[in-house]
Amino acid sequence: MNYHFGRGWTRWSPYLLLLPGILFYFVIALGPSLATTVYSFTDATGIKGATVNWVGLANYKEFLLMGQASKDNLSALGRTLVFCFFVTTIQFGLGLLVAMIVNQNLKGRNFFRTLYFMPIILGAVIQGLVWSLFLYPLGGPMAKFLALFGARSEFLGGPPFVAFAWVIAIQIWANMGTTMIIFLAGLQTIPSELYEAARIDGANPWQVFSNVTWPLLTPSVNTNLTLNIIGSLQAWQLFLILIGYRNGTQVLGYLIYATGFGQTSGSVTSSFRQGYAASASIILFLLVLVLGMTTNYILQRREARIME
Amino acid sequence: MSAITSPKTSTNRRINWGRVLSYAVLILLAVIYLGPLLMLFNTSLKTMPSFMKDATSFATELNFKNFVDAWTKANFPKYILNSLLYTVSATAIYILTAIFVAFPIARGYIKHSGVVLTMFVIALFLPPALIPQFQLILHLGLYNNPIGYIMLFLVNPIGIVILVNYIKTLPKELDEAAALDGCGYFRFVWSVVIPLSKPAIATVVVLHAIGIWNEIIAPTIYLTNKDYYPITRGLIVFQGVYGSNWPTLAAAVLMLTFPMLILFIFLQRYIISGLTQGSVKG
Repeated sequence: MNYHFGRGWTRWSPYLLLLPGILFYFVIALGPSLATTVYSFTDATGIKGATVNWVGLANYKEFLLMGQASKDNLSALGRTLVFCFFVTTIQFGLGLLVAMIVNQNLKGRNFFRTLYFMPIILGAVIQGLVWSLFLYPLGGPMAKFLALFGARSEFLGGPPFVAFAWVIAIQIWANMGTTMIIFLAGLQTIPSELYEAARIDGANPWQVFSNVTWPLLTPSVNTNLTLNIIGSLQAWQLFLILIGYRNGTQVLGYLIYATGFGQTSGSVTSSFRQGYAASASIILFLLVLVLGMTTNYILQRREARIME
Repeated sequence: MSAITSPKTSTNRRINWGRVLSYAVLILLAVIYLGPLLMLFNTSLKTMPSFMKDATSFATELNFKNFVDAWTKANFPKYILNSLLYTVSATAIYILTAIFVAFPIARGYIKHSGVVLTMFVIALFLPPALIPQFQLILHLGLYNNPIGYIMLFLVNPIGIVILVNYIKTLPKELDEAAALDGCGYFRFVWSVVIPLSKPAIATVVVLHAIGIWNEIIAPTIYLTNKDYYPITRGLIVFQGVYGSNWPTLAAAVLMLTFPMLILFIFLQRYIISGLTQGSVKG
């Protein structure tokens, strides 16, 4: 590319002005991200001035292979996958359905789009508190609704799997709007002549969907699946606000935070074990990597098949 | 509008059924999306005894005292000021540095600009930086310090991608013409590129600012001094103390929700374009 803004020392001005941004990026993001690997082989703590020793694979061994704690870790890992599976599939399906509905020429469609998208701006704290109130067990709206059927529930304070299921539901409530918007953008790129042609050929709605909408939506399908899988594997803010660090509900992201920054759960008190937390981070990263790459591989093969 | 409704004569009945079903889904979902907010609003106007007696009954007492209580007891003015300070300063520094990263990448004015861009994107797929970041801030002596906290928010790779994609659409002839007129590099970016990139800059600013404003994990980790709490952390602390007093807590939450909703109506298109552009990536 031709550079027009002078020669000699002035040629360096793009580099000089780029420097702060690059520096921030290296120091705050890329460097620490790569250093996580190094920390995972040490016994680093969160205490300033404490000595840091190289411990090899000890953290990983402890995380995966040692007694009750590893059992808890592995069930947190399993729970992360369950969380990812339900959030991804439901949010994907619902987002697609709603996008197709609000893409029609319906009255008030802009209102509905805005409404479903609204939780995005509120953030995890408000999302969580608003739902805590809605799920107030002593006569809150949801409790009253259940009472109509003679049922009752403690919701977030109930058995772990009930609380866990509610976090899944609220996570979907909070983020379905993003999935919907991305699908909507994809739907709007499909030329209406294709739908006209399909109608003239006498295709029924299902045939229109499977032969026109679905294949042409491939880019948004790929984006949404990837975003949802990676996002839900790493999400845990709503757990923090809705139920706290409770046995039987932890996911990996929360476990990393709790072991790294001190958090009490039942009888287990963890104390700033940052080397150990770093090894858990790497395990979560590998999970994201493996699932992300597998999905990408499958999606790309599918895309190649559709293009034929 | 009229062109869309005309070619639907023979299939009228089936389309109507589809519409009924569509509206049913939309309204059901609307209840799920609005319900929690309406409950929040209603509760914020109730007195505690009335809430205990019947949590969902209509708030006839209009107990505005909840708002006064929440405002004074929760230390809100201080926390909101902190949040504003963090959000504005981190976003301002970020967007300024980001433009000077994005422009030369988009134009190829630096060597290996493609590699530099890839390097930014790669961060999205690397291990979480949480632990080493904490060690860094701790050893810089910036733990529990507003400056250390602001530092955490000076990076946002997706913003760079959005800016690069937008700047690529600006005609390159502008650069040549400006240079011929003797305009320097900095002045060109400052007085030509920035004004022309307003839509993309607005999108990136809005996305980045919302992220900082809503952040809860970073303040929990990095700020232990109450004087430095942003509003998110303040709200959680308030919940810890007044957790059982839902009317007051609801008033506190509502006071933060309402401005966000108003802001959302105005900023919606920037958030949406940010999400769709950031995800398509090109």
